[in-house]
Order: sequence, then structure tokens, then C-alpha cells
Amino acid sequence: MADLADVQIIASPLLRETYCAEAGSGDVLCASSDVLRHAWDAAFDELISAGDGDLGQTRDRIQRQIDDIGMSYRMADESEERQWPISPIPLILEDAEWQRISAAVIQRAELAELLLADIYGAQRLIAAGTIPPAALTGSAHYLRSMVGIAPPGGHFLNVFACDLGRGPTGDWRVLTDHTRSPAGAGYALENRIAASQVATGLASRLNVMRLAPFFSDLRAGLAAACGRSDPRIALLTPGRYNQSYAEQAHLARYLGLLLVEGADLAVHDNRVYLRTIEGLKRVDALWQRMDARLLDPLSLDSRSAIGVPGLIDAFAGGGIAVLNFPGSAVLESPVFSAFMPKLAQRLLGTPLLMPNIATWWCGQAREEAYVRGHLDRLVIASAFNANPLGLAPFAERLGQDMSPEQRARLELDLDRRPQDYIGQEVVRLSTMPVLEGQSLQARPFTLRVFAARDRQGHWTVMPGGFVRTGPVADVRAMSIGSGTRSADVIVLGSVPTPVISASSDVAIRRNPGTLPSRVADNLFWLGRYLERGESILTLVRVGSAGTVESRAGSAGASDTTLHICDHLVADEAVIDTPDALPADIFSRALSDLSARASVASVMSACRMIGEGSRERLSPDFRQLLNMPFPEDGLFQERHFRLKVRFAALSGLAAEHMGRTAAWRFHDLGRRIERGIALCRLVGDFASNEASGEDLLALLDLCDAQISYRQRYATGLALHPVRDLVGLDPFNPRSIRFQADTIVAHLEALPQLRDDGMAEDHQRLAAALAARMAMITADRLDQESCVEIEMQFAGVSDAIAQRFFLRGGKVLRASGMTLA
Amino acid sequence: MTQTYNIRHRSWCLYEKLVSFARCNVRLCPIDWPDQNLRHFDLSVQPAGSIASKPVRMGLVNLSRLVVDDATTWLDVTSNTQIVVDRPIPVSRPDDRTIAAVAKAARESRDIGDLSPANFLYPSAQIPADAGIAAWAAETLAPDRGAVDAIRDLSSRIWAEFRYDGSVTRADTLPSQAFAMRAGVCQDFAQVMICGLRSAGLPAAYVSGYIRTVPEDGEARLMGSDAMHGWVLAWCGEARGWIGFDPTNGIFMAEDHVLVAVGRDFLDIAPLDGIFTGAGTQSVSVEVDVIPV
Repeated sequence: MADLADVQIIASPLLRETYCAEAGSGDVLCASSDVLRHAWDAAFDELISAGDGDLGQTRDRIQRQIDDIGMSYRMADESEERQWPISPIPLILEDAEWQRISAAVIQRAELAELLLADIYGAQRLIAAGTIPPAALTGSAHYLRSMVGIAPPGGHFLNVFACDLGRGPTGDWRVLTDHTRSPAGAGYALENRIAASQVATGLASRLNVMRLAPFFSDLRAGLAAACGRSDPRIALLTPGRYNQSYAEQAHLARYLGLLLVEGADLAVHDNRVYLRTIEGLKRVDALWQRMDARLLDPLSLDSRSAIGVPGLIDAFAGGGIAVLNFPGSAVLESPVFSAFMPKLAQRLLGTPLLMPNIATWWCGQAREEAYVRGHLDRLVIASAFNANPLGLAPFAERLGQDMSPEQRARLELDLDRRPQDYIGQEVVRLSTMPVLEGQSLQARPFTLRVFAARDRQGHWTVMPGGFVRTGPVADVRAMSIGSGTRSADVIVLGSVPTPVISASSDVAIRRNPGTLPSRVADNLFWLGRYLERGESILTLVRVGSAGTVESRAGSAGASDTTLHICDHLVADEAVIDTPDALPADIFSRALSDLSARASVASVMSACRMIGEGSRERLSPDFRQLLNMPFPEDGLFQERHFRLKVRFAALSGLAAEHMGRTAAWRFHDLGRRIERGIALCRLVGDFASNEASGEDLLALLDLCDAQISYRQRYATGLALHPVRDLVGLDPFNPRSIRFQADTIVAHLEALPQLRDDGMAEDHQRLAAALAARMAMITADRLDQESCVEIEMQFAGVSDAIAQRFFLRGGKVLRASGMTLA
Repeated sequence: MTQTYNIRHRSWCLYEKLVSFARCNVRLCPIDWPDQNLRHFDLSVQPAGSIASKPVRMGLVNLSRLVVDDATTWLDVTSNTQIVVDRPIPVSRPDDRTIAAVAKAARESRDIGDLSPANFLYPSAQIPADAGIAAWAAETLAPDRGAVDAIRDLSSRIWAEFRYDGSVTRADTLPSQAFAMRAGVCQDFAQVMICGLRSAGLPAAYVSGYIRTVPEDGEARLMGSDAMHGWVLAWCGEARGWIGFDPTNGIFMAEDHVLVAVGRDFLDIAPLDGIFTGAGTQSVSVEVDVIPV
């Protein structure tokens, strides 16, 4: 195919012709109309110039944008997230064709709604024999206990998607319906944002229809499902280990929804509340993105550890809207394809506007006979996305590709349980151009189209979507990860696209919104760990500088150096081994992952927490957290790189985070950790027995040497050192400064009591600050330092008890009605 | 042959640390079922004064929700049941439908009610399909055999081939694991049998209930030695309907059995489950007395 070397020099029409000379006749680019060909040429022009004449450059730039947004995905059973693989070349569709696709998808959404209303309502279609009961009960997502529950918002579906396939002659087919909580709308948005930031001229040159109106309709549709104006809507995620957590976090941020996990929510009196730092706050609607069976361990699967106990009771009682209806995934069973044509006639009175894959369900005698008679020409699959015994796990097979053993195994189980199987026609897909490595390749593709209800409850279709391209013609075997790529979908509009949407209808607000307890908890601990990492790193620096000066291994190491080693062991930065040389200890304190508090361990904890609160952290902040730990290079170089990283992180927190409650929790974590670390340092290095070298090391550890020399010309003395690093209210690295800052933060955070009395955490912090104000340098001995450290720890516990989930106690604001 | 039972069932939960906000499902009150007649049922929960308990769902299980808002370190759930059982022992008949005919009738049934065969036709959360059990069950469940006869034989095979051992399985043990050991307790035997029946295309349900422990001659009946029992309901065609089989004892469900609830597997009808907020471990002990009067 067309090599990139060629791509760089040839004009777009020539590029197209070169591509089409090799792609099959059914290719979507080569079979297109004049209008479309013109659009493809324009798109290639824009994309090539966006990469300074190199399509590969364009792709890399778009890929970087996507990485910056934080878009990634996770394969099942993998702990690391992967890069979202893209091809820079969009699928381009004409408006007229798009209108036909939209109408078909809306019809399908309406049909799905009516079906769900019957399945979870009167079940007339079943009584009439239109849907055999066994075609329903085979789905693990048919939730019998949900039958008879009317959705509080009035609709069973708010968001819907279809995977479509285009045949070589240009005819479209529905491959799959997504009725649970269609994934991918966020990816579509991402592909678009990233591409438009790189190829800036594309949108206006092609009148590309914008995606934003769809998302604002979707948001309005979710709000319309709620019982009150200005409702609180949350996106309920299965958590950060879910495959599409990155997408969920991004969608929540884009749509202005709270991103919540099950543990964030509590049910009281059939209403659902969010645990926040201000107590319980009512939630009106949940856009749920988990397997519905896990939503509620009381009403559904009792083994679920990620659900909300009592949620379904609240839903049934009308206290919360949950979208889509828990159990809506029943329609995702492939078996429904066998019934859809008939159901469209019966429920809508019209044929399907777009056919789905022709399907025969073997649970019916005539269909079973047909499938057995045509095994060679059909694909045999599970009727319910399950693992029947006659097929290898998650395998669907073309009958003619089966070995005699496989065929015998299938036929044996078909005798016993034919209802587990369907036969489907083989669908051939047409291709589109995909940039693979260095060349344009014709690759088969599927298109996912999204629909959502708007404010009035009408369906609206996202003018775009996302395309998945695969290396093999059988796209049903494709999932992201197995050599597939995703690409943007462009619909050519008939009118010029405004560059910026009119924003006059957006109400201005300054209130950052409610802070969930879990997020406060995460940010607090992120602050503590970052501070801990930095203080260990400082100990390593000061300690190793000392060993270099003494130039003589362990025997020659000074008492102070050994002292720092002991300190690192006590801080659990190093696992104690007798006879370890100081240099060895310092090196292990940097990178030994088996020690709880080595710099590497602490950084890895920070990274974990950061991933769990990614919707609250800036991309820069996350990027710094996620940078690989410096494993190679000289000790001093690695040390310096880490030092710069910590400094950048605290700089970002100090200068870039809004002064919201979220920032206060992050800073509280830093202050408490620094207070504790300082108490230990002062106790160890400024005890009544401290040597001059100890005091010098302490000033170095506290970054206070210059201040000290400016203030005291006379040289080192115990009490002045203690005063500077312990008690000076103007030194931002003194113990007292931390205590004062903690008091100020706690004053500014919300109160639960309305009787004017201080809460526990405030009283403890006030006592700590008062002690620091009263104590004098001669009394700041080791014993006092231990006591003060305990006070910091006590304040930390009280903050956790009051604001976080860990206490396990569900709090209500006293004297307040629940909001 | 009418038999009346007084049944006392006590579940005693101890928590290592204070727990709060406990919410539980209690499924102890027997449902309406042919050949048994509930005379009395009461449920008491200690610590008292913190219960909100009313039936939330009827049908094949009577479910009560229990909410304990005050922090506690223990929970005691006790039920007292009086029930009259008058259940004949089923017999196989020459005109019983064959396995193949029952399987066909089940998948083509139009019934979607609580006891629809379709509801019990497929693998469930705790009883996934298993090739080993399917092959083993197929030795007994030939398609042309009379269903009642063949199913009773499968039940007898479990009774004969499996070893009763309370130490090798837990409540969440899968049928394939119990099958591999050929050992377990009533729940395992019932779930292996259900797995086998479903693999042959037959609808099968899990039953929780009580069984009278027959004392040895001359010995006093042991108090508290009984536990909640589990067995199998198999659908044997439109004419015969649901028939109970007890593979733990190799017998039909008859007047020794008190049926409490019916589900796809144990998870649907666990006598007590739920959640609480707190830390630490919990231990649960159960005492059941089934006293014929």
C-alpha cells in the first residue's frame, strides 16, 4: 500500500488513488460519491499538513493529546493501563447517509424501550408467546426481582448505543445493541478533542458537526429524570480497576457529574445520600456504569462489595433515578436479534429501518433444525453471551471452521440444551483507510453510534461516534487491544460550524460543589505521602553527603551519619539489617520497594491514590506522579531528579490548585506529615545530648542553615536551633507553623454542629497550636517532641473520623434536615 | 400420616469490633407450598428495639429486611415456626414423560410465573455449567428414560458415591469443587445434582428447609444437632410438575421435610445475609431444633 515516504510528497487525490488501487472495491473511501471524495481529499490535506507533511507525525501528535487528557483503558486482569490506540484518519459520512443511520438507531432505541417496559412490566409479549420465556431467563441480566418496578424517571433507557457494520455494497447492519450503560461516548469525545487540537482546520473546512450539543442534551435528559430542579447527579463507577474507568472519570468531568463509588453513597429512608465533608447530601440520579447485578448487595448479588445496600429499595420507592434501568442489559443477549424484526412489526407497526444480523435461536424446534442443517454456512454462538459447554470459552465459530471433535462436542450439547445456542449469518464488512505504522492499509471497521434522551425525553443521536478497525475481517472477534484501533467519525454538516458555542446560557458559578468524603480522604493521604517521600529523600541526601565527606565507609562514618541511618530504619524507609554500610542504607531507602516507606514505595502509593482521584488532579500533576521511578544513573543524579519532581509537585499544589476544600485537605495532609516528621527530627537531632554535627545536620534537614546564619552570628547553639526549626511562627518549615496552618484550615472547613461549639478535631488542633505557642526552646526536649508528635497524630485521626469514610460511621448533621 | 413440627432456628452473630448500620435479609418464614400448612411463625431479633422488619417480597421466598442502626457487637436472630406436613411419597409412573420430552416442554413453556420451568433452566451464579458434572450426570439421564425414575437414580447415586463431610466445603463452594472431592454437605450435594439436571436440559431448583432428624431407637433426640437443610426440586413435565429429591439422604421430599424457600441456588435464598459497617471479623453459629409434636 501507499508508503509513508510517498504520503509525504504526494497530493491528497493521488494518495487516495494509490490507496484505492489496492483496497477492495467495497472500501468506504473508494466507493464514495464526488462530495465525499472531495471531503476525504480535504481531510488528508489537513491531516498531512497538521503533521508538517507527515501523517505519522499527525498520529503521534493526536496520540500525545489523548495521553494528556488521560485517556487509557485497561485489559481485564492487567494492573497497568494501556495507551488508547488510534488511527488519525476519520471515517467521513455524508449528512444524508447519517440521517438514515440516525433514524435507524432511534427506532432501535424506541423498540428497546418498549421491550424493556414489557419485560419488566406486564410481560404481555411473553404471555402472547412473542418472546418465549426461555429466551429471557437465559440471560444473567434478566433480573426477576426488578419485574414490576416502574423507573422513577419514567424511562427504562436514557442512553443507548448500537454497533453497526457496513457491508461491501454500502448497506448497514446492526451488529450489537448496548442497553446497559454503553461505553465509548467518552472515547468518541476524546478522539474528537484530540484530533481537532492537532488538525485545527479540519472542523471548519468540512463543516464537521459538533459533539457538544449531544452531551448537553444527554446531561439535560439525565436531569429531567429527577424529581427536583437543579438536581445532584452522579456517575456511579465500579472503581478505578474497571476497564473504562478513565472514560468514566473523563465523562463525569466533562458533564459536570459527581464521580462516585458505591462506598460514597448511603441509603436512608429510601433516599440516597452522598457522604461528603458537609455530611450527607441527597443524590437525585445515578448514571450507573457497573454490572447491574452488583448495584445492591441486599436486593441483588449479595457478594457485591462495590454496590450500595438498599439502593434498589430506594429505586423502587421512587427515591432515586437509576439510569439505565437495572436489568436493561437483558436486551444485549444475541438471542434478541432473532426476535427484533417481528417485535418491530408488533410494537412499532413498521419493519426495522436497518436489519440486524439474521439470527436463528435453537430453543425453537424449527430454527434448531435450520441451524443444524446449515452449520457450514452459519456462525454458531452463545445465545446469551455465556459459555455453553458445546463451545470453547467465549468462542463463536463458523460451522465450516470446526474440527470434527469440535463439531461433535457442539452437536452433543445441542441435543441436550439447544436453547443455549444461536446460528447467525456471516457478515462481511467493508474497509476504510487506517494508518498502520508506516502505511495506509484498508481495514474492516465497525461503527458505534450513541443516542441519548434530551430534556423532553426525545432521542437524539451523537453526530459522530467511534470507529473500531481490526486486522481481521471478522470484527465481532475484535475488542480494543487485539490489534484494533479507534478512529473519529465525521459527519459533514450542511451549514458552517461555529468555532465556539454560544455560552450565554451557562450560569456563572464560583462554588466548586460538594466534596465527597472519599475524595477528601484521598487528597489528604496524597499530601501525607508526598511529604513523607520528600522528607525521606532529604534524610538520604543529608546522610549521604555526610558519608562522602568522611570518605571511609562504615568505620569512618560519623555518629551523625549513623544517627540518620537509625532514623531511616525507624521511619521504615529501610528494613534493618545488621552490618549494612551507610551508603547501602541510603541507596535502599531510595529504591527498595519491600520497605514500606522507601521513596520508591511512597511514590508508588502516591501514584495509586492519584489514579483514584484523577478527576480532581490536573494532567500535569498526574503526569509527574506517573513518571517512572529513576532506576538508572548515578545516585546523586537519581536523587536530584526525584528532588525536582517533589518540588514540582508541591509547587503545583501551592500555586495551581484552587483554594477549595479539596486543596485544604491536601495541604492538611502535608502539614500533619511535616509536623510529625519535624517532631522526630528535633527529638533525635536536637536532644539535650545533641552534638554540633547533629545540630548542623538538623538545620540542613530542615532547610534552615541560611536562616540560622543570618540570625545568629555566634555559631551553633542548642536552644536557638530548637527555636528556629520548632517554634518560629514565621518559618514555614517549623513545627509551630504546621500547627497554626492546621488550625486555620480546620476553621475554614465546613462545620456539622450548629450550636457554635467546636468539634473534636478543632479542639485537638487548638490545643496543639496553643502548646506550640507556649512552649520555650529549653523545654522542647525529646520527651516533649514525642508528646507533640502524638498530638499531630491525634488531630489526623480526628480529621479522619470526622470527614472520611474510614471511621465507618455514617454521619448526619445534627439539627439539620437532610439536604 | 399428618405430622406437626415445632421448629426453633437461632442464628447468633458475634463481631470482633462494634458494627453499625447492619442491614440483613432474613429468609426464614416458610412459603405457601402444597402439602404443608403454616400454623405459626415469629421472628425475634436482639438487641431489641432496633429492628425494622416487614416482608418485602413474597413468592418463592419470604424475605424480611432487618435494619440495626445502633452499634453492636452481637446479633441474635431467632425464629419459631409451627407447621403441619402431610406429604405423600411420590412414585414413578409408567406414563411419566421422558427426559428428552421434559427438556423440550421446559424450553418451550409459555409460563413466566414464579415456578415457570424457564426460571430454573439455566446456570446460575452459584451453579455454573460444568462439563465434568454434565458427563457424569449423562450416564444416568438418558434422553429416553422416564424423568422421575432417572432423576431419583441420580439422587441415589449422589447419596451412594459422595461422602458427607462438613469440613471440606463452605457456603460459596462451587459444585465442580464438591464434585471433584465427591464430598460435602447437603448444599453441595443439592447443587451438584442441580448442575447435572440442568446440563441435561431439565429445570432444577434449590430448596432450603428443615428435615426431621430421626432418633436412633432408645436414644433421646439430640437438641440443636440439626441445621438448616437443602435439597432439590426437579420439574418433571406439565403433568407431574415439581417433585422434591433429597440427595443427602437418597430419598424423595416427603413428610420429613419442611420447605421454607425455593431459588435458583443457595445465594437466592440464604437464610441470613447482609452487610454492616465496621471492621474486624465476624462469626456466625446456628442452632436448629425440629421437634415433632
